[in-house]
Amino acid sequence: MQQGNTLEKLPLGGDKPRAALDAARDSLNSIILGKDAEISLALACLLARGHLLIEDLPGLGKTILAQSLARVLGLSFQRIQFTSDLLPADIVGVSIFRQESGQFEFQPGPVFAQLVLADEVNRATPKAQSALLEAMEEKQVSVDGKTHALPSPYFVVATQNPSDQIGTFPLPESQLDRFLMRLELGYPNEENERALLTGTDRREMLVEVAPSLTPEVLVALQKSATKVHMTEPLVDYIQALVRFTRESPDIETGLSPRGSLALVAAARAHAFIEQHSGVFPDDVQAVFTSVAGHRLKPASNSAYRMPAELSRHVLDNVSIP
Amino acid sequence: MSKRTGTDGSLLNSLPWTLGALAFSVLPHLQFLPAWVTVIFLGCCAWRLQVERKRWRLPPAWIRIILALLCFIGVLASYESVSGVGPGSALLAVMAALKLLETKQRRDQFVLLFISIFLIMSSLLREQYLWSLPYLFAGVLFTMTAWLRMSDARKISVRQSLGTGARLIAYSAPLMIAMWIFFPRIATPFWAVPIDTSSATSGLSDQMSPGDVSSLSLSNAVAFRVSFDGEVPPPYKRYWRGLVLHRFNGRTWSGNDPAMGSRPRDDVEYLGDPISYQVTMEPTRQHWVFALDVPYDTDLDRTFMARQQQLARIQPIDQRISYNAVSHTDFRLNNELGMTARQYYLALPENSNPRTQEISRNMRETAGSAEDFINQVLKKFNNEEFFYTLEPPALGNNPVDRFLFDTKRGFCEHYASAFAVMMRAAGIPSRIVLGYQGGEMNPMGEYMIVRQADAHAWTEVWLPGRGWYRVDPTAAVAPERIEEGRYGAMLDGVGAAWGLTAPSEWLYQITMTWDALNTKWNEWILAYGPDNQNRFMEWLGMEEPDWRKMILTLVTILVVLVTIISMLLMLRYRPPPKDKAAQLYRKFTESTGVDPDQGETPLSYALRLGTERSEVSAHASQVTSLYLDARYGPPEITSIHKLNSAVREFIRRA
Repeated sequence: MQQGNTLEKLPLGGDKPRAALDAARDSLNSIILGKDAEISLALACLLARGHLLIEDLPGLGKTILAQSLARVLGLSFQRIQFTSDLLPADIVGVSIFRQESGQFEFQPGPVFAQLVLADEVNRATPKAQSALLEAMEEKQVSVDGKTHALPSPYFVVATQNPSDQIGTFPLPESQLDRFLMRLELGYPNEENERALLTGTDRREMLVEVAPSLTPEVLVALQKSATKVHMTEPLVDYIQALVRFTRESPDIETGLSPRGSLALVAAARAHAFIEQHSGVFPDDVQAVFTSVAGHRLKPASNSAYRMPAELSRHVLDNVSIP
Repeated sequence: MSKRTGTDGSLLNSLPWTLGALAFSVLPHLQFLPAWVTVIFLGCCAWRLQVERKRWRLPPAWIRIILALLCFIGVLASYESVSGVGPGSALLAVMAALKLLETKQRRDQFVLLFISIFLIMSSLLREQYLWSLPYLFAGVLFTMTAWLRMSDARKISVRQSLGTGARLIAYSAPLMIAMWIFFPRIATPFWAVPIDTSSATSGLSDQMSPGDVSSLSLSNAVAFRVSFDGEVPPPYKRYWRGLVLHRFNGRTWSGNDPAMGSRPRDDVEYLGDPISYQVTMEPTRQHWVFALDVPYDTDLDRTFMARQQQLARIQPIDQRISYNAVSHTDFRLNNELGMTARQYYLALPENSNPRTQEISRNMRETAGSAEDFINQVLKKFNNEEFFYTLEPPALGNNPVDRFLFDTKRGFCEHYASAFAVMMRAAGIPSRIVLGYQGGEMNPMGEYMIVRQADAHAWTEVWLPGRGWYRVDPTAAVAPERIEEGRYGAMLDGVGAAWGLTAPSEWLYQITMTWDALNTKWNEWILAYGPDNQNRFMEWLGMEEPDWRKMILTLVTILVVLVTIISMLLMLRYRPPPKDKAAQLYRKFTESTGVDPDQGETPLSYALRLGTERSEVSAHASQVTSLYLDARYGPPEITSIHKLNSAVREFIRRA
């Protein structure tokens, strides 16, 4: 998708958080090469207070993207490596009996961080998966009848390998829906791969890069992003897209209202990042594949099997009012 | 960090406007303020502008505090007070100037513009001329424009800011008028503003020393304006009585302070028909109130008729006043004159003007009756080589002798004085009346203007059986002065004032029209006090108007007006239909020759257009971004206009 070239700068959020956001984007782009659009989408997802699912083959930089996000956004970071023997307690934490005090004491699990990387989430059993997904949804964890709030802001970046790989438990649709966006990173192009091969080790770079944001600024930016102007014609456009997904014979299940809300939130955040004066159709199209891709189920007889193809089909067939 | 201590130049766009508005508001005050205030004001303006331009630092707090203290002391030293219009406006002006030195942000500019509004309004405390009104509006408009420039200087042209400012004023004008009409007026305002007494206008003086003043200035300034209810009396009857002088020390005539408690009306036998009229008098800082000949009554408050039938007000007339009066030009005054009074009006210093006293006594002896004697004296003025001139020679000691026997040149005061002295020497009680004589009708307004140049002195003599009656010796010398009115003289005066030698008819017309407008202004706007308001309310149908009813009416009217105006505003500021933007965009895509695909966003279309027709790329992306803003951005009136002109420009180039 093209970068916006609008004249006006958004007055929302003031100048300083705005500049910090741009700096964060630049830092991310310097670590992960040639993925400008994906980085914008990942940032948009976080600004829209959504959780992010990165799905791709191993070794394409999913983990490094998640780590960079945590580092650059100045968030506390925890990584959970999902395996088939992972138990819910390994995720949320356990209550341990302390002999000194004679009481049970809650030992928080790795889920208690502002940015949690759930690596290879589809390798764990559904039980472990649902422990994480519940934490994502409720932003709190209940252990032994006690409720523990998760930190704020709270993001989960989950990665998963394509479900056709052996030995995975694919996330069911209802749980996929919990992620605002699903991204695919894809291979880098020749030029970027060369820079990757010859340049500094990415993990070293990651240590050196300074955080551009603080959690407080991030919260302010999230608030500003919800205020981006959205006009009637644009609402018409979103409704037309949603209607098309529900009526098209190529699609078995169309977008739910939660899906269309997600589309609006993501498009707003994207417009905010691109400094558009309002939500443009371009913003909707930019986020559509990542927001709708994992929520749409192609009909069994459809020619469009891949989420990207299906999304493109929708966008190309709905005219912009 | 060093960069942050200087200014960042962000006010550079709006600061000149703020300064301009401030200067415009201070301007009407400057002529009344001490010169150092002007220097400080202009100095601070220039300083602040330079600070912004060169990115200098603003002066530190201690300098500002010292300057503020110095200015305060300066005002105190100049006025010996800090209250009142003069010191108040001086303080406002210097404090506004000093505020400039700590103006860093828009918030400070807001404060400055508030001060600007306050300054321009406070100029009304000094002067309330007709031309103050357009100046006032201009000042408010200037300030509003500066305001608008401040908030959005880059995006909006000066013309648009001015237009918006003017519109805002237009929207508020109905509210202003309603408040002006209905806000209850109070007879004696408890907020009475101390008037700046330093700017006294010239009127008649309380004394008269013919011979001391060697020339009389012909001032065209208006003394008062009169409109008659009935027919206008002929010029020779238009003697406007001011004050009466009866004490003579050989050189100078002086009068009493207005005596109170007398019943002068009992001394008058009013004959003929009463003449009623309305006078609007300019401030004189004196007590005398002018009335035609012998007044019968006036409705002016705190005013009484003094012993010699002159009207006087208890406090000096320091504001323009307006009053109704009734006069008689036929009357008998003081048929009886007591012995004390008689001595009073005959008193002459013994050794003064001996030649006059001698010739007077001789003439009285040869004349048969007192009337004959008076006629002979007038004849003497008429037949001998006496000239009426406004620039007579100075007379020194025994001025009457010198005037009568040597110079024989003078104006009304000389003739009145000489005549009165001759009468007294011959045993006829006499006194001098100062006032105005004549006046000219303004053909544009059906009213009469009496100017300072119409100031006149005449005599009154007392004869047994006849009482006091007027004798105007000037009429014997220069009858045209009295009988013709001053139409011709007026023309000369105006022409001369404008540097023209020949009287010019159009100039006369303009002068008269301006005066008529001013009179309406005085009558309708400035004179709108409690009485006029009550009358107006009754005329509108309000029964027994009082402040409660007026406030109620005012609130009702304000609510209605605000509703109407906000509805108008809502109509006007309703965002333009988005379809308009879509139509313009369609025009644009049609003109490119490249059709947009279904589902193709404007930005991707612009990108494709850029690759297919690279020559239009820049303009196409400009149109596209304007379109996106107009259609999908927040509602702004200007965006659709910008898009419109961009599309037209694009089509024109294609």
